[in-house]
Amino acid sequence: MQEQLLFHTPEVEPAPSKYPNRIEEYEIILDRSRCTECGICAEICPEYIGSASIEYEAFKKPDGHLRIVNPKSSCVGLGCQRCIIGCPTSALSVKNSQYLALGDSRWTPDLILSTLEQAETGRPSNRYEYRIGNSQGGFDRIRFSFELDKEELDGDKLFDQRQLDTSIVLNKRDDGRPKIEIPIPIYGGDMSFGSVSLNVMLARAEAAEAWNTFTSTGEGGYPDKLIRFKEHIITQVATGHFGVNAETIKRARIVVLKYAQGAKPGLGGHLLADKVTPDVAKIREVIPNVSLFSPFPFHNVYSVEDHYRHVQLMKDINPKALVSVKVSTPTDVDMVAIGSYYAGANILQIDGGCGGTGAAPDIAKKNIAMPIEYAIPIVHNYLVNEGVRDEITIMASGGIRTAFDVAKAIALGADGAVIGTAELVALGCKRCENCERGRGCPSGIATTDPALMLLINPEWAAQRIINLYCSWKGQWNYILAQLDLENIRELRPSNEVKFKNGRFSHLLHLDHLR
Amino acid sequence: MLGATRCLTMKAIYERYHIEVKDAPSEIKLPSKFLVKRYNNCSDAQECTQACIYEVHKTHEDGKITEPVDDLCRGCYRCVLTCPKNAISIENNPEFEKLGNSYFTPDRIETINFEAETGRVPVSGTGYKGPFAGKGFDSIWFDFSEIVRPTRDGIHGREYISTSVDLGRKLPHLKFDESGKLLSDSPKTIEIPIPMILDPPLNSTARRSIQLASAKAAARLNTFSIVNAKEYSDDLAPYRLNLIPRINSTEIEDFEDLIKASRIVEVDFKDSEIDDHLKRIKEENPSVLVSLRFPYDENSCERAEALTRMGGDIVHFYVDDESVEQDPDIIKNAIRSVHSHLVDINIRDEATLISSGGIAEAAHVPKSIILGADAVSVGLAYQIALGCKACYGDKHAADCPMELKDTEIELATQRIVNLMGSWRDQLLEVLGGMGLREVRRQRGEIGRAMFYEDLEAKVFGDRE
Repeated sequence: MQEQLLFHTPEVEPAPSKYPNRIEEYEIILDRSRCTECGICAEICPEYIGSASIEYEAFKKPDGHLRIVNPKSSCVGLGCQRCIIGCPTSALSVKNSQYLALGDSRWTPDLILSTLEQAETGRPSNRYEYRIGNSQGGFDRIRFSFELDKEELDGDKLFDQRQLDTSIVLNKRDDGRPKIEIPIPIYGGDMSFGSVSLNVMLARAEAAEAWNTFTSTGEGGYPDKLIRFKEHIITQVATGHFGVNAETIKRARIVVLKYAQGAKPGLGGHLLADKVTPDVAKIREVIPNVSLFSPFPFHNVYSVEDHYRHVQLMKDINPKALVSVKVSTPTDVDMVAIGSYYAGANILQIDGGCGGTGAAPDIAKKNIAMPIEYAIPIVHNYLVNEGVRDEITIMASGGIRTAFDVAKAIALGADGAVIGTAELVALGCKRCENCERGRGCPSGIATTDPALMLLINPEWAAQRIINLYCSWKGQWNYILAQLDLENIRELRPSNEVKFKNGRFSHLLHLDHLR
Repeated sequence: MLGATRCLTMKAIYERYHIEVKDAPSEIKLPSKFLVKRYNNCSDAQECTQACIYEVHKTHEDGKITEPVDDLCRGCYRCVLTCPKNAISIENNPEFEKLGNSYFTPDRIETINFEAETGRVPVSGTGYKGPFAGKGFDSIWFDFSEIVRPTRDGIHGREYISTSVDLGRKLPHLKFDESGKLLSDSPKTIEIPIPMILDPPLNSTARRSIQLASAKAAARLNTFSIVNAKEYSDDLAPYRLNLIPRINSTEIEDFEDLIKASRIVEVDFKDSEIDDHLKRIKEENPSVLVSLRFPYDENSCERAEALTRMGGDIVHFYVDDESVEQDPDIIKNAIRSVHSHLVDINIRDEATLISSGGIAEAAHVPKSIILGADAVSVGLAYQIALGCKACYGDKHAADCPMELKDTEIELATQRIVNLMGSWRDQLLEVLGGMGLREVRRQRGEIGRAMFYEDLEAKVFGDRE
């Protein structure tokens, strides 16, 4: 609690994109063969974005059409169309093809653009959907009861400046280990040096420090440059033990034992040779340019008794650290959870099938492990019935993209969430799926290429992650206010999650409403 | 060294089944996913050539910028964002979006094409991008266990995982006489090293060539390709041990020689005299295995039961591609109901169950097997690997644009081999992750899967 009082919410500072252009939802297309340069469009446009080609860049497309591009476009698109209707020679049309090519059903173009906007401004968007995607299930079909009455998108209204209590406690056991508390119900997911660049790791650590929460090294060593953030670093012990040693374990306040990863449970880790540069190889203590596998499973853990020994080993090495156990979501995830509880884990991280990855076979990403939306209530209910729910912290991950996803996960029974992809999208990830080979990420995020990694400036990137969480914090405040809750811990159900007629507590599922 | 030792010791040394994949690029390229457009206000600043790491934007020999190469674009948008004149646009290619149909989606066709071209397992970064769940096979998630199951061997044991299945009947139990002598005659079975056979090609002008490629691929993979008996030609004779002639039940006497020359024949079940047909075939060739093929409908459970009791070695039901597209659940329900029925009446192992239909990606093979099939027959998917556009050849036979020249048959064969090799590797990933050492043990293991309907009801439905 002491820590909480000293903590000050970080300030939003604008962190605009470093690129001259942005991807706009709508573009106004001008057919120059018809345009008489009368200027009427400019007069009737409420935002004055289109004009008769003189002040704005208008240029010829191969097929003879012209396109108007305004770098500060705030065209509202098909909802307005005044310039299109008003043009006396019908020379204008509106188009959104570029926007449509972006994203996918989980991370829709809107979610990518709204996350970018939050990273720049620290506020939710009032142009793009920032709460849900379009996957036709799970979080995208779950709503808070207050959302049904008024489907509000306007970011200004869904952002509450009041400082409501959104903190959670990561250690609920009385085991003499520190009662670490974080002011927001999230920390950063496991991303190794090698899967992402050092600059990205530094940025994530700096943001974690500003928010007094954590970020994780993943399995790939603990670069020295991160030591100054050591109060905010989780280190991962996984099966390959790349760069894992007693020193790094002793340095961390939280140690995560990765048994499986939601995107590819049962398959272990994978870093293709292209990304094993000399720097990466050195910290992982391997040979450069050779593909690295973290085998599955831990070959010293084949039973719950082994699991207990494994957790205790970590506790013995670092008597002050919390131990987090990261598992994916098989049918018996509830049994796994109770096993980890008895093994002495402080935190159980359940990683759903839609989670991110630096490289995984496509057959694994699509088909293995249940979505996190199911796993959370299944685990929560089981632990409630076993009477131990309040002795272990459940962190959900794998497909949690927005502040609303986090809140829904909590309302379904998790204590908090672990965020990976959203942080990368805030830094400019377009989910082009090419993290795994060659030079890696064209946006300079998931890369080890010395030139590409310079695209990410750690201070700038940290500010973007800070801003994203400022926006999320405001949204959580709003949700708590709407639900008349004092703090976010009250959002988590204390009893079993049980839907009736598609409703449970503050939540409803649109597919089951009756 | 190793070779010498092997010669000296014994010939029957353990040999690992291996599918020889190699690059087999087709001349016909799929339309690119993205269109990269550069508008005329390009000032030739060439910042895009620096920005793009995939070489979509390149500098021509004369120092000017070249036209963007759409095929190489991965949709990272860096050129769009970087261009000082905002002169570049990335859009979806409508030609790509037109590929296939709602089941064989453009993405699935692109994946099949990649697998056929390289034989590799598709691997990528970022998380899953598709819908939450879907119908049919898309409503199933595999269950890969965690720390609680001690029997696993992980992916590094995959060299020793068997993907072989047996075709044919098995005895429910053995009989012995009083002195302990075995009385039962074990029926003959044929082991194939992958749980996949190839269906006959759909109608098209390239039908004969596709059949030939399919036969050659089956021989190379040591599995089977089904061929319509009427279309059996001399070209195919060298591959007869890997061909299953498909015979109309009224025409059995026309194909006596073929029945004698084959290891398996398939008969289309159409009439009630199937019992007689079966006997006649076995008289012609007592060692031949008979596969009885029929379309799935509401009577299929009883039909499968009757055919099994009658002595059919293989029960092969199919759902045509158009029906699967209309309702992908049909194939899931078909396999599950037929398998469960045979289990319920205790005759499941007396015949091999093969299902056809809806196999559009690697995951559909283990999903079919988990639902209860012993093996699957791959149809449209391997033809897509050869250039079919999934417009349903049987309907549009006259104007099917698909071509396959005789000179391309070797390439086509390799593409089928690559596809099967990639799918087998992906099957191994699944088996390894489940800790299973052989695919036979995956059959009907419903506990290795999670179903959308069940989870949805369990978590969000009304319980009690």
